[in-house]
Amino acid sequence: MRYLRRSGRLSVPRRTAQLATAAMLVATTMAACGGQDDGASASAPKAPATIPELTKDPLTLSFIWFDWPPAHALETFANAEYTKERPNVTIKVNTVPNANWHDAMFTQFAAHKTDFDIPVLDSQHIGEAVTNGNILDITDFVKKNIDVNAYNPYLLAAYGQFPQAETGKRDENASLYGLPLLGDTWTMIYRKDLIGDKAPQTWDEMISAAEKCQADNPGISGLAFHQANGSDAAAVTYNTVNGLYGGNLWDSKARKIDGVINDAAGQEAMDVLVNKMKPLTAKGSGNWFIDEVNAAVAQGKACIAFNWIAASGGLLDPKQSTLGSTREEILSKLGFATLPSQKTNLVPLGGMGMHVSAYSSKEKQAEALNFMKWFEQADIQKKWAAAGGVPARTDALESPEFLNAGPFNKVYADSVPRMRDMWNVPEYARLIDIENTNVNAALNGAKQPKDALDDIAKEQQSVLDSSGRKGGGGL
Amino acid sequence: MSDPAPLTTDRPGQVASATPPAPGRSRHLSDRWLAVVFISPALLLLLAMSVFPLLWALYLSFTDYSATRGGPANFVWFGNYTAILASAQVHLRALTTLIYVVGAVALQTVLGFSIAYLISRRTHGRGLLTTLFLVPMMLSPVVVGLFWRFMLDAQFGVINSMLGSLGLGQVEWLTRQQTALFSLIVVDTWQWTPFIMLIALAGLTAVPKYLYEAASIDRASEWFRFRTITLPLVWPLLLIAVLFRAIEAFRLFDLVYILTSGGPGVSTETLSFHVYKVAFLGFNTGTASAYGILMVLIVMVLTQLYLRYLNKLKED
Repeated sequence: MRYLRRSGRLSVPRRTAQLATAAMLVATTMAACGGQDDGASASAPKAPATIPELTKDPLTLSFIWFDWPPAHALETFANAEYTKERPNVTIKVNTVPNANWHDAMFTQFAAHKTDFDIPVLDSQHIGEAVTNGNILDITDFVKKNIDVNAYNPYLLAAYGQFPQAETGKRDENASLYGLPLLGDTWTMIYRKDLIGDKAPQTWDEMISAAEKCQADNPGISGLAFHQANGSDAAAVTYNTVNGLYGGNLWDSKARKIDGVINDAAGQEAMDVLVNKMKPLTAKGSGNWFIDEVNAAVAQGKACIAFNWIAASGGLLDPKQSTLGSTREEILSKLGFATLPSQKTNLVPLGGMGMHVSAYSSKEKQAEALNFMKWFEQADIQKKWAAAGGVPARTDALESPEFLNAGPFNKVYADSVPRMRDMWNVPEYARLIDIENTNVNAALNGAKQPKDALDDIAKEQQSVLDSSGRKGGGGL
Repeated sequence: MSDPAPLTTDRPGQVASATPPAPGRSRHLSDRWLAVVFISPALLLLLAMSVFPLLWALYLSFTDYSATRGGPANFVWFGNYTAILASAQVHLRALTTLIYVVGAVALQTVLGFSIAYLISRRTHGRGLLTTLFLVPMMLSPVVVGLFWRFMLDAQFGVINSMLGSLGLGQVEWLTRQQTALFSLIVVDTWQWTPFIMLIALAGLTAVPKYLYEAASIDRASEWFRFRTITLPLVWPLLLIAVLFRAIEAFRLFDLVYILTSGGPGVSTETLSFHVYKVAFLGFNTGTASAYGILMVLIVMVLTQLYLRYLNKLKED
């Protein structure tokens, strides 16, 4: 016989082996199930109205944000200022690439264990986090500790309220789950030396100016804006044009997207974006996002560009720019203005709020609440503005510390009453992916503009309608 | 000092079993139990890290469970599977993946074998050349993706700069439907051709020299020798390399993530990339599990068919 005799095999008795394997699998299953809730519907736990007693022991308060200048500015600022009040606390702002931001937070939420105490959520992430019970309900805490009248109501609502507020308003009876950390919107960046000192006032004028500038200056493209299919890049661009041309993203009360986003105004916006704006961009710019747009401006390759204000600081750094060897020289060529209006004057709401992880220890949750209370004080907001942040309190927005800190800060202050947000619903991540990929496809010739818009409407509607679906959710 | 206990018997492949325990060892700890003790850490690790997740994913694939929403996992039985198999979105990604796998593996096979054949004919510097060719394979796919992304950039990339100096126009490598998938194939080929080359080189160096000598005596042409000696002997090994590469290419994720993010639109989204989106954008864990299980099944069935073909080839 070629093979081993049974008695010679290296094995424990079969029954023992089977039992051991089964026990191992059962143990692993129990371990895996240990972190799950037992079917109770999730909802955000409440934070105490009064800040509990704070520890005197050394403590590290961790944030999670994506990797961009404001994240680094926050860590430096908080460690310099907050430690004056709480010397035993160290602030750590953990950063991840922008494209991983949502996943990095929500995979930890899914594990019911986070290595951060203060997640910096995009305004549209709040619905998902609240519905899943991932962040604390801070309504009572805000009532007792924060002067809500010091803010533009919509800013307070956009970064904290759920269910989502109507554009420009705040529902005072709605719960709050976060407080503003960084305000933001798009600024128009234009070459004063090429198109003149006066910024275009309407979107059509802006397109004409870019067209003329491109024709007059070979090698320089008329426009630079976000077109990538990662994060929310291409979607924000379309949503901005959609808003300016009088379109709507959805009917939030009826939860209706199909027939709303792709109505006549939506179609016109898509046509303007793909057929009038895209031809004025640089070849191969179909995957551009924040950094690429900034690089094009800094290297003098674009007449007019659009970017988030909070990411524009580097444009004035002579080390990163070919437009001048000093900040003044660069500013003699670059102008910053609010977005031109068209049928409406809406601008995109950017920025983020800070929230408290439901899975942090009580000690750290207390510290997080204390940090938030400290951060929202008038004098601290002004210092944050001077340090490069964009505050949300009205007094800080109107303060010389903020308005003189950067040429684009006045743009932000003027834009606050004009802001519009996207959908703040638990399905946000899928809605934005659908819009991003389809707008990116239209911008890069992979789809006809009308088909792309109709596909967005159909697919997004199907996501909103699929809550009762049996199987196949997420496809 | 006593003689060490024999570890093997006179029968090849047979391991000692009834050997009495060595002096000083507990009477209850026989060789059989000792072997179990030694292999159990690896077995436990395998059970916990591979077998259990697979079984757990299988269970979840029949439910509507979501990792973030929590709550009970309600059985939808084959609902996820039928939805995936019937989805036009999945069909589109399957076609993209198929084009990618066929394109990349075919190109890598031709190039890898050609390079191996040329290297095998050299007598000097063969080791150095082989090592140099292997460098791309040793790099992380994320690093490879990032530097190719810079090189392929339409505005600032070195590839377009070179094309420009030759008087050729700019090519939008990563943002056009026609070129984005091709770029992915090229980058994957750059990185993984050395793998095919390495296996093919092993096969080529194993061909007995006397066969070529006999062919030379018969004044056989170079092409005849290649067709009747080299290729038939290297072919089975090459097919195994193709199998490994095809499996790898089938689950491509990293290069897509870094280079194109699946764009323009979704035109370079592979099945793996789509599973990632289903799993982590909407946290539809049940659907994503079913999607993953289906991908494993497809690979297993195709591999079985392929191995049968290989066995048949061997028998012939």
